Amino acid sequence: MERCEYACGTNDHRIDRRLFLGSAAAGLAGFAGFNARASELAAAQKRMLVIFLSGGVSQLETWDPKPNTDTGGPFRAIPTSVPGVHISELLPLAAKRMHRLTLVRGINTAEDEHGRGATIMLTGRRTEPGIQYPQVGAVAAKLLTTSTQELPGHVQITPGGGSGFNKDDAAFLGPKFASVTLADGKPPADLLRPAVLTSDADREREALRQKLNAKFAQSRKSAQTEAYTESFEQAAKVVAKANAFDASREDPKAADRYGRHDFGRHMLLARRLLEQGVSFVKVSHTNYDTHHENFDFHIEQLGEFDRPFSMLLDDLADRGMLESTLVVVMSEFGRTPKINDRYGRDHWSKAWSVAMAGCGLKAGAVVGKTNANGTAVTEREVNGGHLFHTYFKALGLDPTKNFHPAGRPIPIADPKASAIAEILA
Amino acid sequence: MGPLAAISIAIVLLAGARADEPLHKQIDRQIAAGLKDYNKVASPMASDAEFLRRVSLDLTGRIPPASEVRTFLADTSTDKRIQLIDKLLASPEYARRMEEYFDVVLMDRRRDAKVPGTEWQTFLRTAFAANKPYDELVREILSSDGADPKTRPAAKFFLDRDLEPTIVTRDISRLFLGQNLQCAQCHDHPIVDDYKQSHFYGIQAFINRTFLFPTVQDAKAVIAEKAEGEVSFISVFDPKKVSMTTAPAVPGRKPIGDPKFDKGKEYAVAPAKNVKPVPAYSRLAKLAAAITAAENVAFRRAAANRLWAMMMGRGLVHPLDFDHSANPPSHPELMTLLADEFAKHKYDVKWLLREIALSKTYQRSSEVTPRTQDVAEDRYAVAILKPLSPEQLGYSMTQATGLTDVYRADLAKNLTEPALQAKLAPHLGPFVRFYGTRPGEPEGDFVSTLDQTLFVKHGDQLRTLITPRPGGLVDRAGKLTEPSSVVEELFLTVYGRLPADEERREIGEVLRTTANRKAALNDIVWAMLASAEFRFNH
Amino acid sequence: MPTLNIDPTKTRVLMEFKHGRPLIGCRFDPAGRYLFAASEDDTIQRFDLLTGEKTSFVGPKSWTRGLAFVAQNPAVVPLAAIPASAIAGATTLVRKPAPFTLLSGDYHGKLHWWNGTDDAPKPTNSINAHDGWVRAVAVSPDGTTVATCGNDNLVKLWSALDGRPIRTFEGHLSHVYNVAFHPNGQRLVSADLKGTVKDWDIATGKLVRDLDAKVFHKYDTGFGADIGGVRGIAFNASGTQLACIGITNVSNAFAGVGNPLTVLFDWADGKPKLLKPKDAFQGTGWGVHIHANGFVVGAGGGGQGRIWFWNPADGANTHTVTVPTNARDMAVHPDGTALAIAGSNGTAYLYTMTPAPPAGTPPKKA
Repeated sequence: MERCEYACGTNDHRIDRRLFLGSAAAGLAGFAGFNARASELAAAQKRMLVIFLSGGVSQLETWDPKPNTDTGGPFRAIPTSVPGVHISELLPLAAKRMHRLTLVRGINTAEDEHGRGATIMLTGRRTEPGIQYPQVGAVAAKLLTTSTQELPGHVQITPGGGSGFNKDDAAFLGPKFASVTLADGKPPADLLRPAVLTSDADREREALRQKLNAKFAQSRKSAQTEAYTESFEQAAKVVAKANAFDASREDPKAADRYGRHDFGRHMLLARRLLEQGVSFVKVSHTNYDTHHENFDFHIEQLGEFDRPFSMLLDDLADRGMLESTLVVVMSEFGRTPKINDRYGRDHWSKAWSVAMAGCGLKAGAVVGKTNANGTAVTEREVNGGHLFHTYFKALGLDPTKNFHPAGRPIPIADPKASAIAEILA
Repeated sequence: MGPLAAISIAIVLLAGARADEPLHKQIDRQIAAGLKDYNKVASPMASDAEFLRRVSLDLTGRIPPASEVRTFLADTSTDKRIQLIDKLLASPEYARRMEEYFDVVLMDRRRDAKVPGTEWQTFLRTAFAANKPYDELVREILSSDGADPKTRPAAKFFLDRDLEPTIVTRDISRLFLGQNLQCAQCHDHPIVDDYKQSHFYGIQAFINRTFLFPTVQDAKAVIAEKAEGEVSFISVFDPKKVSMTTAPAVPGRKPIGDPKFDKGKEYAVAPAKNVKPVPAYSRLAKLAAAITAAENVAFRRAAANRLWAMMMGRGLVHPLDFDHSANPPSHPELMTLLADEFAKHKYDVKWLLREIALSKTYQRSSEVTPRTQDVAEDRYAVAILKPLSPEQLGYSMTQATGLTDVYRADLAKNLTEPALQAKLAPHLGPFVRFYGTRPGEPEGDFVSTLDQTLFVKHGDQLRTLITPRPGGLVDRAGKLTEPSSVVEELFLTVYGRLPADEERREIGEVLRTTANRKAALNDIVWAMLASAEFRFNH
Repeated sequence: MPTLNIDPTKTRVLMEFKHGRPLIGCRFDPAGRYLFAASEDDTIQRFDLLTGEKTSFVGPKSWTRGLAFVAQNPAVVPLAAIPASAIAGATTLVRKPAPFTLLSGDYHGKLHWWNGTDDAPKPTNSINAHDGWVRAVAVSPDGTTVATCGNDNLVKLWSALDGRPIRTFEGHLSHVYNVAFHPNGQRLVSADLKGTVKDWDIATGKLVRDLDAKVFHKYDTGFGADIGGVRGIAFNASGTQLACIGITNVSNAFAGVGNPLTVLFDWADGKPKLLKPKDAFQGTGWGVHIHANGFVVGAGGGGQGRIWFWNPADGANTHTVTVPTNARDMAVHPDGTALAIAGSNGTAYLYTMTPAPPAGTPPKKA
């Protein structure tokens, strides 16, 4: 056994007593099992992209149109590159790429509130008091990020708000896997060395800091002080790679292809980050909560979505990345088949759709059916738990395994559900 | 005195009773007994500088100003450490520090909802300033229904958890009994034999009849209670799905049965629309006494363990909320001793903290030597390093950079602790944001995250704190001409100690050779503030 | 045309025409014999004001809003002539009206021709007019030309006779919501989502000027989408004024939080005058008309519906009528005494602006 460098009694270097207090529980695969898994994956690094259409995109105006019915609205259903599969005319470019997509049309999450709906779709679990589950991005970052990756493993690109680091979304997995938010694609302010700090001054004071730490470590050292001093080394690496967050460095032709609007830029940034090996990127597109004039607004929003989504799929495929990247297009719920008196559709979680592509999926497959006017699922009803299982199974992982926060076994995905085998390759 | 009497006295002295031995000596004896050749192995006593910084942080939440360091180092009295401890305990900063510490412990940085944070903090601070007995403090927290404005702040524990039964039960058991019963909600605890499902529901039964009136959302809601309602639970592991119930009970103690009432007499004020019901018998009213009862050993163990951990960096029972028979304390006799003595001394917080601070165990150096390298942390052969809390870090940064001294000078004759604190408090925000846990999350393990590091490396706040201002550190140091004096001023102010010769030499050289001394000072101060020596309480 | 006896304060429901599905648009034929109402079921319903009969115009595969007509010298059927029996719901035998052409534009971009008096009407001609929705249809005063506008940001002219394309007007940078011919037949106005009203010379195809109706447009940054558009448009008979109605003050586009507004342009100098509802009302203005008597009438809705009457001289909202449903279009009868509302509840309401007769017959549903 290697000689311990510091006081062996510190937390991280004694197996937590709690884990041993019930041998049955300790027999379950814990973190140790996953580190082995992660090194297997390093050989074939996987990543995940979630495109979150905030507010609840209408499944009737996207993936499961019902034209000329009492709920269908005015848009057509158009044929796609997969014979027999039709989607809304508002996604003409995606329709040409249906052979890369996988549709899940039988979703019933039974939750019409934005926050709780988002929780279901992002954690695979319903909201419970007293426990918070980690979001899919934190889970993916934990399970997919290799130790050599210097960039944060969990990144989200939002239309607005503030850039920064979130502690919330990783829950018990710890802040290391919490998301870094790039608001409007901009990195957190402190990521870039401020102009007032010259690179010489930066270098000199860093050198002094390290010297002071080295002296201190001669007599006082613990896992915590090591973690603290190491975090500066890691931060320096991220700072050195700050260009990874700058989509303006991409070929201007790519920016044209993706569209020079916000979402286009954000999707191009997402491609860039995925190419750099970031394990999980979530891009949010706002907004789809069309209680009023649903049809006009979906023309506008899907008009922004269709092009960059399709271009990104093309680029992932061209770069040979699509087979190792899982892409999911989701919302917190869908929209009511019933059209209200202001041409709007309201919140609806009983029968809606999600589109996916890439790693581990059957391309061109459709699972789940709704009835003639979309008011109920008639075939293969699934919920957020099934989807969560499916994501990680598609990524080659076992979602029935447990995490062990504070020694308590918590399965990665809801044990009441299982993966949608029909769409797994 | 006859020979027999002398012998019996000698026997009594030799026996373990040591009835009138001060607690701090008993602590040291028990700790020494916990490791073979403890006295040979253990680190020496901390130096004066080490001790001053540590006890200042532990008892007042801030590093000492350079002037205090100089004074203490120069003081030749043999009892200066005792005098320091007493001075710190008597200071208003002590009450502030205890308020900050227990606010986080009890409220997990939850956002204010039904009780303004300032009122709650004043309640805590006043209690610690008056050295209110700890059991009395806990009883106030567990018995206020929020209706009387005078006692409403104490009800924040319940109110700002929205009286959510699972969370309240978990937190009562976790914080006041040292037992996290959360996993026992759905079944007997899978890992800890001592934690039963009936224990969880025994606690919950005290509050199961309560609700927020008029509504959960109302910012002025108070706690109301019905006269009926039972907890019921089924173990998810029970194939027969037998439904069980329990009266209110503290784990291991007898359930408190409800008195019987004639029909129609269950309420003093009957429930009606928009009327707050008042039951003839309140289960909630039994909670505070049951938790703090002398027979409920868990309460005093958890309390003593908490205060020990605050000072020592680790609980005798570790983790603090996992006290059970299969997780014995590192020093079982000492745990019992601390708990019992704390109770015997009427839960006198200052007394317990003083005794701990007086112990050699507390005053031991944190310096690791080849002898102590392989010794487990829980043997207390070496002082344990403690990361500064967000509050300690923020206020130590303002002290180290001199901002606190500038404010002291500004206030001049009007300098009081509250006035100074009012000026300092606005600077704390970023430290809580970056270094504090998420609202509602109990403090977990130490983590050093990317955003914290970037905050230090590139952030505005630190740069602004360091920037020279009249009376600030860089300004003061900049006025000294002799590099050696500069280094001394920097080290006394930031690290609370004199520089070693090597440090004096090397950093002095930097100052001597730099083209821009002010810039160099900025860089040096930054490096010191960013260093592990500053980040940790050692 | 004499418009005696008009008193907006006496506005009341005269007839109700029920249809099973929500209504989107409504127009009277030039003779005022029929009320046409387009519905979310892809049909256009024709209600015979004299007989109460209801006829479905079936053919389009999507919704219709734009309705316009070509008629030769139609003799206006005054509503006063509607027999009490028709109002009471009994079917009366009346003379067949003179033929006219109905033009409708649908949300699949098609423009359809119909014989307006057919018993079992089907489109007699259909062309692909726009890529995306046809949002409005107008016919020139001389009946020879049809104008359409739509989601391809284009305005187009067609031969009313055979649908031959005549001209395309380019320049709008967003969906074109409405189009109207100036009564002199020489100019055409079109209005878009972003609040630009373009004034075109028909003969040359050139843009004469832009009028500013940007008060109708908002980019809602919270939701990341544009809301706006001139939902209803009308010239006065002499062409000296142009009225536009829509929504303004939008604070939440996706909940429809905003207020209806009419902008009345002086045609000569293009100066706008804002006509606001007196009472706070959350919703959109959908239809507007400048009455021969000089007042401006508009209708719209949110959760409920409203009809507003304004005095253009001082901008005062002189009278308001509550409509039991969102009023998604409004048309004024050629005899000037009545107006129709297309209700989101599927009912078309015929309101008369004349006082009730002393011993009035209650309004009857058709």
